[in-house]
Amino acid sequence: MFLSEFTNYIPVILNGLPNTIILAFGGFGIGLVFGTLLAFLEVYAPKPIASAASLIEEVIRGTPLLVIMFIVFFGLPELGMSLDPVHAAIVSIGIRSLAYQSQIIRGAISSIPAGQLEAALSIGMTRGQAFLYVVVPQAFRIAIPGLVNQFTIDLKDTSIAYAIGVAEIFTQAIHVAQVILDYLTPLVFIGLIYLVMTLTVSYISEYLYRRYAIPGLGGGG
Amino acid sequence: MKDVVLRVENLWKSYGTTEVLRGVEFEVRRGEVKVIMGPSGAGKSTLLRCINLLVRPDKGRIELEGDEVFPHPSKSISSIRQKIGFVFQHFNLFMHLTALDNVRIGLIKVKKMPKEEATRKAIEALEMVGIGKELWHKYPAQLSGGQQQRVAIARAIAMEPSIILMDEPTSALDPELVGEVLRVIEKLARNRTTMLIVTHEMGFALRAADEIMIMDNGVIVERGSPEEILRNPKHERTKRFINSILGRVA
Repeated sequence: MFLSEFTNYIPVILNGLPNTIILAFGGFGIGLVFGTLLAFLEVYAPKPIASAASLIEEVIRGTPLLVIMFIVFFGLPELGMSLDPVHAAIVSIGIRSLAYQSQIIRGAISSIPAGQLEAALSIGMTRGQAFLYVVVPQAFRIAIPGLVNQFTIDLKDTSIAYAIGVAEIFTQAIHVAQVILDYLTPLVFIGLIYLVMTLTVSYISEYLYRRYAIPGLGGGG
Repeated sequence: MKDVVLRVENLWKSYGTTEVLRGVEFEVRRGEVKVIMGPSGAGKSTLLRCINLLVRPDKGRIELEGDEVFPHPSKSISSIRQKIGFVFQHFNLFMHLTALDNVRIGLIKVKKMPKEEATRKAIEALEMVGIGKELWHKYPAQLSGGQQQRVAIARAIAMEPSIILMDEPTSALDPELVGEVLRVIEKLARNRTTMLIVTHEMGFALRAADEIMIMDNGVIVERGSPEEILRNPKHERTKRFINSILGRVA
């Protein structure tokens, strides 16, 4: 009885899918760019800058996403920076993601033995070349599983954008629920959508990890 | 008289209050093989690392082929390092690259050589160290320690440096793999490759070195031909050191 009524509303929920995907990729993308930057500052910058970078990271990691989102959406306009809900959500998810991604990338960079950098310098590479051709390719491989995991977290946290009125699938599901007076069916339905998306991403992650595994080193399979 | 490739004058280095180098002086001429021996903590590794500026000396002077390297480098540090090959105790091959790419990357990225030419040079170097075709596309983790170190030597010689520094090139190897690496280094010595080698291998030093320098406590305490040093050491510290190595072998 409920179910037949619900099926009429499936297109309404799917209307929110583009926003969910935009929020996930946009937030993760911002996180990747600035997280990488932060990680490099923490590892290679002079002490005061490195400390400032890790302080930023700590503060962000200590702040709930909902608080970040409300600060960006409701707080920043007081300083003259107004963003529409979708952009505010992307920026918020990006801010949160960058703090975690910088941690993942920093760990990956630090796990590359110092001898690799020394060997690169000893054949006459500049520091920039040594990072680009020796440190980054190895660190990237190590960071893949952690980064993909962070992406699945960002993907699920797009639902928090409900609080500032972004029409993503969770918001749409709640609206449908309020119309058909059944919360269970639409929520289980979007639960399945999240599940399918995260499983797809995990599958791609494993493929990438195997594809870029270094023969002879553990962890490839 | 052969020209001087490397000249080190009054080199000092300390870490905190520990003085590691205390006025080291020597020179290496073209085609010469010099071996540095001495107890651990004598400053041997630090000396090599100072020469290619992986470690910055505190004072003194380093010259490579007449150009100042330290304290005022006459060229960029990376272009100086191109002319100084370095072979590490733990090989330090690039783990994400095949044997061939390990040798080739410096030629392509640093020397800006076209890929075909770089490949040809790299293969030449690999053949020189006895790494056959079947190993060119293997990754370091798929190679034995002896093979890795030979690839690392190929990586150094492919750059055609003016001098190659080797920091205990066989100390991290299983005993049965030491021979294959030493034979390659002896071959380089016969071809008059200029080298400065830190090692504990006495037999090798006797066969390959033009001069042995004994280092202790941050200074060179004795130097001379392998015969003089190993058969008839003058210095008490040299005697003690040589006996300790012989004792370890026996």
